[in-house]
Amino acid sequence: MIELFDVHKHFKEPVLRGVSLSVPAKGIYALIGPGAAGKSILFKIIAGLVTPERGSVRVNGEEVVGRREREMMDLRRGIGMLFQNYALFDLSVAENIAFPLRRLFDFSEDEIEARVAERLERVALPGFQDRNPASCSGGQKKRIGVARATIARAPIVLYDEPTAGLDPVTSQKIYNLIREEQRAQESTVMVISSDVNGVLSIADRVGMLHKGRLIFDGTVDEARVCPTPEVNQFVHGLTEGPL
Amino acid sequence: MNAALNIPYRMGAALLLIADQTGGIAIMAGQVVRRLVPPRIDRYELFRNAYRMGVQSVPIIAATAGFTGALMVIQGAPIVERYNARNIIGWSAMFTTFRELGPLLIALMFNGRVGANNTAELGTMVVTEQIDGLRALAIDPITYLVVPRYLSIAIMMTALVIIGDFVAILGAMGMAWGILDVWPRQFYYSAMPMLQTWDFSVGVIKGFFYGNMIALTSCYFGLSTRGGAPGVGRSVNASVVAAASGVFIVDYLSTFILH
Amino acid sequence: MTEAAAQTLDAATDEPPLPKRSALTDMLGELADLWRVTLDTLFYTFNHKREKGAVITQCYAIGNRSLFFMVVTMGFIGAIVVYQIGIQTARIIPDMSLVGATYVKLLIRDLAASVGAMPLATRVGAGIAAEIGSMVVTEQTDALRMSAADPVDYLVVPRFLASVLMGTSILLIGGAVAYFAGMLICNLSFDVNPYVYMNFSMVTSGDCILGFIKCLVYGGTIALVSSQRGLRTFGGSEGVGRATTEAVVGSLFAIITLNLIMSTIGNFLLPA
Repeated sequence: MIELFDVHKHFKEPVLRGVSLSVPAKGIYALIGPGAAGKSILFKIIAGLVTPERGSVRVNGEEVVGRREREMMDLRRGIGMLFQNYALFDLSVAENIAFPLRRLFDFSEDEIEARVAERLERVALPGFQDRNPASCSGGQKKRIGVARATIARAPIVLYDEPTAGLDPVTSQKIYNLIREEQRAQESTVMVISSDVNGVLSIADRVGMLHKGRLIFDGTVDEARVCPTPEVNQFVHGLTEGPL
Repeated sequence: MNAALNIPYRMGAALLLIADQTGGIAIMAGQVVRRLVPPRIDRYELFRNAYRMGVQSVPIIAATAGFTGALMVIQGAPIVERYNARNIIGWSAMFTTFRELGPLLIALMFNGRVGANNTAELGTMVVTEQIDGLRALAIDPITYLVVPRYLSIAIMMTALVIIGDFVAILGAMGMAWGILDVWPRQFYYSAMPMLQTWDFSVGVIKGFFYGNMIALTSCYFGLSTRGGAPGVGRSVNASVVAAASGVFIVDYLSTFILH
Repeated sequence: MTEAAAQTLDAATDEPPLPKRSALTDMLGELADLWRVTLDTLFYTFNHKREKGAVITQCYAIGNRSLFFMVVTMGFIGAIVVYQIGIQTARIIPDMSLVGATYVKLLIRDLAASVGAMPLATRVGAGIAAEIGSMVVTEQTDALRMSAADPVDYLVVPRFLASVLMGTSILLIGGAVAYFAGMLICNLSFDVNPYVYMNFSMVTSGDCILGFIKCLVYGGTIALVSSQRGLRTFGGSEGVGRATTEAVVGSLFAIITLNLIMSTIGNFLLPA
């Protein structure tokens, strides 16, 4: 359960201008919107990586804003995140995936090894343990990122552009993977994507950000018939319209 | 590969890399010279770069030079006090600053600020395919990008050494007044008769050579950038190190030639 | 939503006013941020267990890989400085016997640390900022924070420790190289016998203490300034380039400023 209330954030100019949003527990929430709408920043605010100027963010009922870095540990144990730019470290694939486990929990080496192998199997990259991420393709890096985001079996998982720059077949495989993971863990999942059709095929609810504001929040079926011109245009991919 | 072979292998690889880079810089120098006779210069780019690289560096260069002058007085102070040689402190501080330390430290600072920035800019243009874009428009990247940058770095470096020398005098005067009770007037009259115009000129000539070194090195490393944002970081890193080495080698040679 | 409606909504939400920015507030903000990074680094240095081998890896990157560059550079610097002292002396008194003694005092008290720190800052500072900056723009630092690894703890502390340790060692080695390069030049250019050159009578313990403190301070400063610039990188490959530039300029400027401060204080507390 993720709740945001009146969240404001600006860098050189306003990025988020009063976003209020409630993401119900257990399900896939798709966050769509044109570029530079503030989607990625919203994710980072939920994970406590960026502090908003104003507003409140509650994750499972606990306030995130205003905590100090050293007090974020409990929050982040409960969140897995896939980053837009992969954010894989210059370590082996196995060490990359095991990183959250080592830092956030106390597991035995055998347990870690078994879990990493299970994850790699799950994302269809068996035997990749000793590879270096730099030598992997874009799709493989995304899948390694998915494995790292889900290894701790966190109740909340945030995927930032899981399919950007990938071909349609690989994209659909990753969407299916996200759906299956969500069902298996019964987790709360948020997905940012520019690929509206793909992400709506797996989402339960959808929100659209535009110019720093949430201009739509509802089910997928509601989104498809929404009369607001921006939402209608974006969901159906029309060239005619206000965007 | 076994360990015993590994060391000579790596030494050889490093030498080849250095040879490769030196050759690349030399080729770039040739390309630049060929476009200077007869001169084909984008005047707008030249003035824009001269302003950004030269005028905007004045505060940091002035601070560097002022501190250098002051430092030379502090370092000379014990010797001056021991021999009670207050009447030569002005000369001794200014001699080293003009001939050696002023141009050297200004060059290192200029290398960090302008050289690194130049590599970063050109490198970014390479990784975002802007250079290919220029080529596709039949615009020669050397004429349009490198020549104006080369000229403004070389000229501005020389100008900054001259400005820096004057600020260094002020810094040294202030420090001599502060810790040695040498009044600025006394400082001035002690320094002037013994300083020769040549001492000043040596520094300025060195400045021009350093400027050439920094300009060619930073442009070369910028244009040979590969591999996204980390690639830009790597080439900036390699560029400042190579230019600094170049500056020290030029310094060594010119110190003996310009006796 | 129509254009007019969007504008009304714009006007209706009162946005927090943007703080006023100027060159001075920017600089003070950066200094405050540098101070925070410094305090955090010191906190984690004494309060946290480190990744195994992280410091050693950084020692290799910062130390061993700068050694060749520094030895060459300091060799040239040593030769140049002795030559300058020589021709300077020749203009007042034609007696070259004290060139070695004066030079070694200057070298220990200031030059080995302060002049050596400048190429070191160029080499090490650019490397640290480029590396951390690339990690920031590819969101690796965010990924670290998601795993409760504070980038200051995980990235800055090992570089800080390695830079203090290896920076000091390299500056000492560089000083020795500069000393022997000076001996060679003295012998070739001014006919000073190496036995006459090796005259340590002017060196005091105060010189050694001051020189050593300078080495330690410069090593730490380079790592802290460059890491701070790296951590504040924003905006893709351009940002990484900008951070690297700022790291080199910032470290060099910090060294010159600290040198002036330490030399002035040293002049009173540890007189030559």
